Amino acid sequence: MKKLASLAFSFLFIATALMAQDAPKKRQKGHTDQNKFRQLKDVLPTPNNRRTASGAPGYEYTQQKVDYVMDIVVDEDKNLLTGNESITYHNNSKDYLEYLWVQLDQNMRAPDSKTPLAKSEDLGNTAFNGPVTFTKNNLTKPADFGFKIKEVNNSTGGSLSYTVNRTMMRINLPQPLAPGNTFEFSIRWNYLINNSVTDGGRSGFELFPDGNKNFTIAQFFPRLAVYDNVEGWQNMQFWGRSEWALEFGDYDVKITVPADHIVDATGELLNEKKVLTKEQRVRFEKARTSFKDPVFIVTQEEAEKAEKLKSKKSKTWHFNAKNVRDFAFASSRKYIWDAMAVNINGKTVMAVSLYPKEGNPLWEEHSTRVVANTLEEYSKMTFDYPYSKAISVHADRQGMEYPMICFNYGRPQPDGTYSERTKRGMIGVITHEVGHNFFPMIVNSDERQWTWMDEGINSFVEILSELDYDPNFFTGNLPKDIVRYMSMDQDNLSPIMSQGDYVKNFGPNAYTKPAAGLYMLRQTIMGPELFDYAFRTYSKRWMFKHPSPADFFRTMEDASAMDLDWFWRGWFYTTDYNDIGVKDVKKFYLTDQPTEAAKQLAKRYNMNLADYEGKLVFFEQEKEGVPVDSKKALEIDVIKNHMATMTEEQRATLKEAPNFFYQVTFEKPGGLVMPIIVELEYVDGSKERHTFPAQIWMKNDEEVTKVFRTTLAIKKITLDPDLETADIDTSNNSWPKKDDSKFDKFKQKMKG
Amino acid sequence: MSLAKKIACFFLLISLAFTTHKYYLSLTQIEYNKDQKSLEVIINVFMDDIELAINKEYAIDLNLTTKDELKDADVYFNNYLTKNLTFTINNELVKHTYVGKEYEGDLVYFYLEIAVKENPTSLEVFNTILLTYFEQQQNVVKFKNGSKRQSKILSKNSNKALLNF
Repeated sequence: MKKLASLAFSFLFIATALMAQDAPKKRQKGHTDQNKFRQLKDVLPTPNNRRTASGAPGYEYTQQKVDYVMDIVVDEDKNLLTGNESITYHNNSKDYLEYLWVQLDQNMRAPDSKTPLAKSEDLGNTAFNGPVTFTKNNLTKPADFGFKIKEVNNSTGGSLSYTVNRTMMRINLPQPLAPGNTFEFSIRWNYLINNSVTDGGRSGFELFPDGNKNFTIAQFFPRLAVYDNVEGWQNMQFWGRSEWALEFGDYDVKITVPADHIVDATGELLNEKKVLTKEQRVRFEKARTSFKDPVFIVTQEEAEKAEKLKSKKSKTWHFNAKNVRDFAFASSRKYIWDAMAVNINGKTVMAVSLYPKEGNPLWEEHSTRVVANTLEEYSKMTFDYPYSKAISVHADRQGMEYPMICFNYGRPQPDGTYSERTKRGMIGVITHEVGHNFFPMIVNSDERQWTWMDEGINSFVEILSELDYDPNFFTGNLPKDIVRYMSMDQDNLSPIMSQGDYVKNFGPNAYTKPAAGLYMLRQTIMGPELFDYAFRTYSKRWMFKHPSPADFFRTMEDASAMDLDWFWRGWFYTTDYNDIGVKDVKKFYLTDQPTEAAKQLAKRYNMNLADYEGKLVFFEQEKEGVPVDSKKALEIDVIKNHMATMTEEQRATLKEAPNFFYQVTFEKPGGLVMPIIVELEYVDGSKERHTFPAQIWMKNDEEVTKVFRTTLAIKKITLDPDLETADIDTSNNSWPKKDDSKFDKFKQKMKG
Repeated sequence: MSLAKKIACFFLLISLAFTTHKYYLSLTQIEYNKDQKSLEVIINVFMDDIELAINKEYAIDLNLTTKDELKDADVYFNNYLTKNLTFTINNELVKHTYVGKEYEGDLVYFYLEIAVKENPTSLEVFNTILLTYFEQQQNVVKFKNGSKRQSKILSKNSNKALLNF
């Protein structure tokens, strides 16, 4: 005991000595808490009875509900959509509402839209133009897009006062709408449908050379804005990028299109007998029990025949959807239609695809299967998919999501061949857009404010889903894939926690970085078990509700007992990057002879080392190899004697005595704190991993030191060997410094 | 497709970029290899960007990673790089040898080698990779000589990096 105490004594002295060496400094200024691990209390909103400190909806949480009954007519020749809707607004809040806000998204492309006016222009960048582009940019008058509001009436048919401010319309209520009451009104409108290929846009139509069209229609009706306790009315204008905040409700929609069109939409088809042939219904029944392969409801042969004719008659398709936040549909006579059944925890859900022959052979091979796989994988990570179907519609250059239906790109060459990239893009976009059914269609975050809450969280689950479909899939969303972005000039970066319209480098900012961050949380920081439980808790808590960022951050901590404030603060609130390196490695060996360092220390404290002879063991730093008088731990008398005083049982509890001592200093040029993942490779080629939690940086944000006590000599030390932490500079990640360069490896490969 | 049509399509593609998650960046890493007396250069660019640029510049269709990939794709790559990436070492303009390329995910890596007479004390890199085509293109140049490192970020407004040692 006494000997052990003296050993401890010597360590204490070294520590004190190091501190005593610091020269006296000029008196420093004080500071507020800037520690990377300080809590997010200054940033997150104060919890209340509507949104709790645990991240769950509180007991006073309320949510509005909006029901729509609509009659829609699509005029294929004029590209005109005409609509009539009756809206029932349920005020479930405790507030009196003087007015209601309705979103008029089509006005973003109206002739008087301010979206083009708010963009800076540069002729230098388009120094030359083809005639088509020149004409488009310089000679073309703006088309007459935008909603034409014909009538806004109350439930008895009297006209209702309203005010349009660009993409938002205020319904001026005759008297405030009391808590718990409903307000019914109706709107009649029409608008010119844009060509989504030439005019751009998330919805519209594609014109084929033979005059046929593929209508992928969304944002086609005046929709209620969200009213909640976070934003009040979410009526920020639609500038074209940041998407939507929408209330849940029930939809009853009749869509009238040319009689030879095939239509599918959000919700259940109520008049199957009227719009489908007997043969098609038989095939649909077959699809409802086909869990392995899709069944054609319209074959390619039938679609090719249909697109050669053009019906003058019309047909009305009737859909009904419960508890959805939006409604969209697709319509064309060109569609091949296939479907298969998916088993979601005992419930059958239909995976459906609509595509023109131009999508084949890629689409019949993959689309419906990818839909099915996505529903299965997302359900595992969140909750059982609650809707009855999910449809993937082929659309040139689009990738856009709506409840139960989405529009996806991925078109082979005219001869039917396609590159791996086209296939990967198509599988990726279908997984992504079908995945949006979960975020934000069901876990209904505010897209206008926070793009990452749906795009980022969705891109994260997309990674897991894609890797399940194909383990070798290039997801492009892993931590290593965000490194190039995170090492960009700071002028081109925005924190994830920024409103979408002004975010720079929108894609990597709002999609890849949050996805890579969550992947890192799951794989590296929390582990799948803790992460998945917390993530599922968040998904279930906010299913069919409106979560805010704080609700996500808080739930992930509340359900896992992991304090992640440092991670949210660094990864989501700053543009800091991770760079951790090996700064220095010192090798030590053991000796029973007083070392120079020990002598100096003794002198400073007026100790006589001779008094301690045979009582101390010394660490000597290796300079040019280990000298012959170095000893292994068990060869040193003081240790040996101490061991002898132990009982057999005590000795049995000891580890194997280490022969090598490596003191490794890690530096952190990057601003983020991250776990340090260390791989030690020994002389015999065996490897060992050590992971130090991010909290190792709690007391020193610049460098930290660890001692590795090993029985074998270390040949190589590598940090983050699997590229898990988005370290932007890996050239300082190894000791000794790397010698097998990427260049040499490639050159060897080229030589064969 | 005619060139005019291609140009039209190209600009269209850019105007519709709002749904794709893109950014525009290339990385050129240059390392001096003392033993070989050479500069080893690795450039990575996004595959779709470089393909679009070269297709447009030479009015071809590279069809990268398809069965129709042009057999002389390397010739186009090298021509493009020769035109858009030059190195001046110790005030002397030097020529590179194109070692090859490899595809990795959505990136293309190019490998170039430059013979050097003496230890470089200054290096000027002129880099206009993809600048003509993408307004937001950034070209990062990193240089390493032994333990010395330097890096510069180039863009439309500054396409030259001068590194002194």
